[in-house]
Amino acid sequence: MKYEINRRRLLQATSTAMAAGALSSIAGRVAAQTPNQINVVLGGGDWGKANIEAYAKPFEAETGIKVNPITDDMGMGQVELMVKSGNVTVDVGALTQGSGLVAAKKGILEEIDYSLFRKEELDGIYEFAKQPFGVANLIYSYNMVYSTDVFPADKPRPTNWAEFWDADKFPGVRTLVSGQFGSEGPWEEALLADGVSPDKLYPMDIDRVFASLDKIKPHIRKWWSSGSEIQQMLHDKVVDIAQSYDGRALLLIDQGAATEINRNQAKLQWDYWVIPKGSPNAKAAQKFIEFATRAERQAAFCQLFPEGPSNGNAFKLLPEKVARKLPTHPDYIKSSVSINGKWYNEVGPSGVSNTEMLIQRWNEWILQ
Amino acid sequence: MKLLRRMAKVPLGLTAPAFALLLVVFGAPITLLFLSSVNAPDFSFQYYGAFFAQPANVRVLFQTIEISLVATAICLIVGYPTAYLIVTASKTLRMTLIALVIIPYLTSGLARTYAWIVILGDRGVINNILLDVGLIDRPLQLIYNRTAVYIGMVHIMLPMMILPLVSAMMGIDRSLMAAARSMGAGPFTAFRRVFLPLSIPGARSGSLLVFVFCLGFYITPAALGGLRDAMLSTFIAAEVNSSFDIPRIAAASFILLGFAIVVLSMVGLDLSGKQEQSQTRAPKGSMSRLPIVLVIKRNFSEILRPYRVKRWTGRRYVPGAERRWPKVVAIVFIVLVMAFLLFPGIIVVIMSFSSGAFLQFPPSGLSLQWYRSFFGDASWSGAAWTSVEIGVEVAVISTLLGTLAAFGLSRISARLRGVLTMIIITPITFPVIVVGIATYLGLIQIGLIGTKGGIALAHSIGAVGIVVVIVSATLANFDRTLEQAAKSMRAGPLQTFFRVTLPLIRPGVIGGAMFAFLQSFDEAVITSLVGGLSVRTLPLKMLENIRHQIDPTIAAVASLLMLLPLIWMLVLYAVWWRSRPSMQRTLQEAAA
Repeated sequence: MKYEINRRRLLQATSTAMAAGALSSIAGRVAAQTPNQINVVLGGGDWGKANIEAYAKPFEAETGIKVNPITDDMGMGQVELMVKSGNVTVDVGALTQGSGLVAAKKGILEEIDYSLFRKEELDGIYEFAKQPFGVANLIYSYNMVYSTDVFPADKPRPTNWAEFWDADKFPGVRTLVSGQFGSEGPWEEALLADGVSPDKLYPMDIDRVFASLDKIKPHIRKWWSSGSEIQQMLHDKVVDIAQSYDGRALLLIDQGAATEINRNQAKLQWDYWVIPKGSPNAKAAQKFIEFATRAERQAAFCQLFPEGPSNGNAFKLLPEKVARKLPTHPDYIKSSVSINGKWYNEVGPSGVSNTEMLIQRWNEWILQ
Repeated sequence: MKLLRRMAKVPLGLTAPAFALLLVVFGAPITLLFLSSVNAPDFSFQYYGAFFAQPANVRVLFQTIEISLVATAICLIVGYPTAYLIVTASKTLRMTLIALVIIPYLTSGLARTYAWIVILGDRGVINNILLDVGLIDRPLQLIYNRTAVYIGMVHIMLPMMILPLVSAMMGIDRSLMAAARSMGAGPFTAFRRVFLPLSIPGARSGSLLVFVFCLGFYITPAALGGLRDAMLSTFIAAEVNSSFDIPRIAAASFILLGFAIVVLSMVGLDLSGKQEQSQTRAPKGSMSRLPIVLVIKRNFSEILRPYRVKRWTGRRYVPGAERRWPKVVAIVFIVLVMAFLLFPGIIVVIMSFSSGAFLQFPPSGLSLQWYRSFFGDASWSGAAWTSVEIGVEVAVISTLLGTLAAFGLSRISARLRGVLTMIIITPITFPVIVVGIATYLGLIQIGLIGTKGGIALAHSIGAVGIVVVIVSATLANFDRTLEQAAKSMRAGPLQTFFRVTLPLIRPGVIGGAMFAFLQSFDEAVITSLVGGLSVRTLPLKMLENIRHQIDPTIAAVASLLMLLPLIWMLVLYAVWWRSRPSMQRTLQEAAA
């Protein structure tokens, strides 16, 4: 999930694999791999709490299978380590679409058993969300967020990324997401700012991306690498305009921060529920994923944490007030762009994937 | 028991358990790692070539060296006068100052880095005060730049520079200065011609230690630095996470390691000649030539110093009132340095009593909510308990193996001892991420990934090195004739060990156990790898908390962690105070 991204970024920022452990209730003990319990990586903070409430607890109640929630994030490197070492301690976790595709290609994920899904649920789940290796858990977005103190409603506000890039017309301190992991970065925004039309983003012109980033670089206070950083920066009024996850911004707005989200040119991203290959409780894991992608469960989740369901039927169960907060609300989706995970994993003539190419260029660019 | 007895007869056998652990958990896997970096069995340098083919890698490599050099230089420039002032202070003041240097040294590195974020942040302590006073209307950009990186790194490394310097300076016979003065040298000349050359070994050890540690830094630069302040460890960590491409990670790791070794051996060899000339007392055995051993040993013997001082008092020259040091400058300087070392901790403690939901300084109100949140939340207290459990296991394993090894090492030839000690301490000298990856590969083989036992073993390989160094230092001051005396009274080797040797080296053993515990208690990088997503220790929980929840619980945790060193020092004091009579007796006999 978005926390997963944060994790990977902070990893770099902090340590190699900030893999954390299970809740303290099971801390220290790899849960004995009995058929009646599964280890599920559910993310940390409010995100993890919402996952436990909406999925883990009701799943236990319905199936009698105990869920050991691991309230941190899982990176692809960790999945690969577990699978290749034959030491799989996680039954279900989430990977971003890019990582999910790579992991599937590496053959380290179990295939999803779609025969377990009821037809009406299966029909409700978006096509892109149903992959052989995983089912999308929800859809979140990167948005432009600004301070309403600096940009009050009666004054001109930046409406698109070209205006975000225009520091003369809209002076203010900015923050953008760091591109150090390649698969997520301010790439699409840089192209949009440079006048590329939203339907012509892919294949991305990497030279053009960095030429555009050159222009905004001096105005960026910090290239954030975790959602909590944006939350803190906006709260502290350190930045005036930010690129932010919608969920983080909504939490701030709910707390009364003078912040508003601009949904135009939002960028949609999603994660997949996956099962590492060789999971000792794969069968229960399959059941968990089926359970967690039901419309009714996702609707329950969306009320706890405002992100878009991957099962469109969930909208039918949501009041309009909640639905309006979600990035996949029909009104927003028209003006949004989706991250094309497939392009990121394409291997170019140089023999490396576009993601790796972006990482290499980013690493050189930051030192300039 | 029988086996133990047999092993005790062959000194080298005593080191066997320590080496077995090292080999299984670290030695074998790191060899495999190296082989995969050179593309064995075909043997090629393609991965090294690929590393250097990327200009960004080369620039980051040089930047890593540059940042490490500058940080080391700052530590030396600040640390040298500080150490000098500490050494020349009165006895009580000196002990107090040393204690004040040791407290931050023993405090969790995570907590200290976190403190600087709180201080330098855009809405941190400094900016908030300036904004409140009205001196500025926008926050100064104090964080996310190179200066902040240096501040954070120097803060963590300064004690490691000061302590070896202090112990080197304590060893300088002050009457030499008096002699120089009596021959007509001015204070400055006497300092430059006599004191400075004699203190160079300490400066060298301190610098080497600081430099090598800096090479492996990355939590601090990543947290305080800007976009361009990347270090090689950061790159390796990113690589581990994004694609577990072992040969590439291995190549980058060995390049980092290579630089550390080159610098160590260059500086080490280069100055070793001078060191021998300048040292008044010839170093005991070749172990003393290993800079890191020397430093840790000296730090440790620093703590034992009060007892040795008794022997030296007669020889020491007490400087009279003729000193013309501008005292005010000296006082201001030392106060500034101590404030720099201690201020961040104080800030965090104050913050931990905040009643707001965000990190704010000064706190909007006072409350104990974050302590309640720590003790009341099972995921926090559970993590703390896990860390304690693992720490105790590590302390037991490494004290046992380390003491045996040190005992064995003290009974073999100096040359062999030097080599073996060097091998035992490799896990402390290697960049931590390299150790983590190697350990992970090692623990996979024995199926201990994701268990507390596995983590304890992983921590132990480093902790054994620490125990060996500390216990060796104690053994070096130990009078072997006491054992011979016991044996002549028909005591067996075991009886001699338990009745004579062990009681005498007990302070070293307890000190070693404490440092081992501490090492484990603050470890995050290796743990995160070998924990396999299922064991959560306190440092991991702290990192997770920084990521996901920006509540000041972490300030409460950090404050509690700052209490630990104080407890340590009390324990240390109690232990040595209690063992003092026996120590004195030994020393007196040795002197006689």
